[in-house]
Amino acid sequence: MLSTLKYIAVVLWSAFVVAPLLWALTTSFKTANGVTGGPTYLPYIGFEPSLDGWRSLFGGAGGIDIVRPYMDSLIVTSSASLISIVLGTLAAYGLSRFEYRAGFVKNTDIIFFFISQRIMPPIVLAIPFFLMLQFLGLLDTKIGLILVYVALLLPIAVWIMVDFFDGVPRQIDEMAMLDGCTPFEAFWRIVLPNSMPGILVASMFCVIFGWNDFFFAFTLTFTDTQLLPVAVVSLNSSVTPWWSLSASALVSVAPLILIAIFVERLLSRGTLAGAIR
Amino acid sequence: MASIHLDQIGHSYGTAVYALEKTDMHFEDGKTYALLGPSGCGKTTMLNIISGLLTPSDGRVLLGGTDVTRTRTAERNIAQVFQFPVVYQSKTVFENLAFPLHCRGWDRSRIATRVAEIADLLGLTSRLSQSARRLTADEKQLISLGRGLVRNDVAALLMDEPLTVIDPHMKFDLRRRIKQANDQTRHTVVYVTHDQNEAMTFADEVLVMSAGRVVQRGTPQQLFEAPRNLYVGNFIGSPGMNFVRAERLDGDLRLDGVPLVGADRCRGIAPDAEIVLGIRPEHIAFAQGEELGVPASIVSAQDHGSLLVVDVAVGSDRLRMKVRRDVSFPAGQARLRVSSDQVRLYVDGVLVN
Ligand SMILES: Nc1ncnc2c1ncn2[C@@H]1O[C@H](COP(=O)(O)OP(=O)(O)OP(=O)(O)O)[C@@H](O)[C@H]1O
Ligand SMILES: [Mg+2]
Repeated sequence: MLSTLKYIAVVLWSAFVVAPLLWALTTSFKTANGVTGGPTYLPYIGFEPSLDGWRSLFGGAGGIDIVRPYMDSLIVTSSASLISIVLGTLAAYGLSRFEYRAGFVKNTDIIFFFISQRIMPPIVLAIPFFLMLQFLGLLDTKIGLILVYVALLLPIAVWIMVDFFDGVPRQIDEMAMLDGCTPFEAFWRIVLPNSMPGILVASMFCVIFGWNDFFFAFTLTFTDTQLLPVAVVSLNSSVTPWWSLSASALVSVAPLILIAIFVERLLSRGTLAGAIR
Repeated sequence: MASIHLDQIGHSYGTAVYALEKTDMHFEDGKTYALLGPSGCGKTTMLNIISGLLTPSDGRVLLGGTDVTRTRTAERNIAQVFQFPVVYQSKTVFENLAFPLHCRGWDRSRIATRVAEIADLLGLTSRLSQSARRLTADEKQLISLGRGLVRNDVAALLMDEPLTVIDPHMKFDLRRRIKQANDQTRHTVVYVTHDQNEAMTFADEVLVMSAGRVVQRGTPQQLFEAPRNLYVGNFIGSPGMNFVRAERLDGDLRLDGVPLVGADRCRGIAPDAEIVLGIRPEHIAFAQGEELGVPASIVSAQDHGSLLVVDVAVGSDRLRMKVRRDVSFPAGQARLRVSSDQVRLYVDGVLVN
């Protein structure tokens, strides 16, 4: 009885999650007629499939070339995430294991300083970022965006990793040092391999944020550099091209779905469970 | 292998109270020491100072005569086993045991041989290729222990209650195996424990600690026979030493009117000082026949296996005595024979004779 209920719940939930994707998938193969002709789901029966939507993503009629923004987005997101994770992990380890003091400023104050960067609404940050990038001549460049994203992602990375390292018993580091490691080797050879779950979680947050950001990509780049979310929006015109938008939505969400599947695999293998103790 | 000298070492964790009071301490090369004391008395603090995990607030640490106070843990080449298991979960059992050797640059074949030896000693051979993640707490502690024992060139081996989490029935066997391993290597060993039996069987010398200071150090026998103060007397032995106020009459020390200690042993003690007698439960027996004895009434008896611990009342004092199970003793009233040369004299809580 209970398991029947469970299965019903799972089925309902799956429908809830999958339906929009299915909708986007069918719509991406429709034409204007197919979209306005009421809800239809089966190609050749309900509507006449067409590749117009997909063609428009590669510079086809009325569309834009999405390949370059896609690559730009991949480069910017992965570089910014990688830099944030590397710097964030190192900073977090330091903050978790060593005591810093500058006058009345102590570790917890430094950590709060990091987090407090994210209290301000993005609009407040947009103008200073704009001016700074302008000053550096980095407006409308990938490097400029990467710098901005690192500034935005680093607090998240530091915060997640400090919390994670605080949960790793200090004795692990101490034992490694007794076994003959320098403090850095203890971190590198022992603590880090045990910290993959935390790093994975932090990376996920960073990638999702970086990949989905529209606001900063929109305000800080114009023509030379264009990220995917901005490119997708520029697909829109006086007649909403649902087919192109659906196709672009699917390619946009694809990397995140791949990440989700990858993380789920790791979780179900138990690689993450109880990595420490 | 090296001697350890703590020169005027003291440590406070940033509070006014010293977790370890300023002391001078010497551990000789190749000897086994037991640190014995209640929870929070500073045992772990002392070990961490020796191994360099903690930098002392005061004093210097000397290893084999060299000042290592500012030397990194790794360079001190000290093995330490913690109270709770620490294993590297991302590694296999073999890799865990091999890691210290690996860090010291041993070559593969030498590592394999040595790890096999240690695994055999600790009964871990069948587990070597397993991931350390899924072991029981017992097995994890064995690995911690193994990592401590695997290097046979360490300056010292420090063990912080390594057997606390181990199953009682394995404890005895393991104690023997640790001792065996140490007898081969002859390291300087400092072994922290709560358990006085462990301390007494293991160590060449026992250090009893209390509230951040070493109260007495000596061989197990010295601690048993002549505890320096009431604290050590209570702490060592089970049950601890009996302490009763003596009556001083004609220079003799008496218990409930019966003379126990002659005037000659009271020499040098101020005539009006209050003297407390320390009597081990092992040194009290029931008087036989016409023998003179201290009159006592029996309160209760507890079964301790082959021995009985009997509670007796002498005047207004309570004493505990240990008797063999098969000794028949009268219910109610009895007379006690006390081996008077084993009685210790304390004034103001400190041993005087
Ligand atoms: N990191 C620390 N920060 C502050 N105080 C500490 C710290 N570690 C220990 N102490 C304090 O120092 C004192 C001695 O601690 P220590 O761990 O050396 O005791 P111990 O004899 O090993 O006790 P146990 O038998 O419980 O392990 C205790 O009062 C403890 O509360
Ligand atoms: Mg301790």
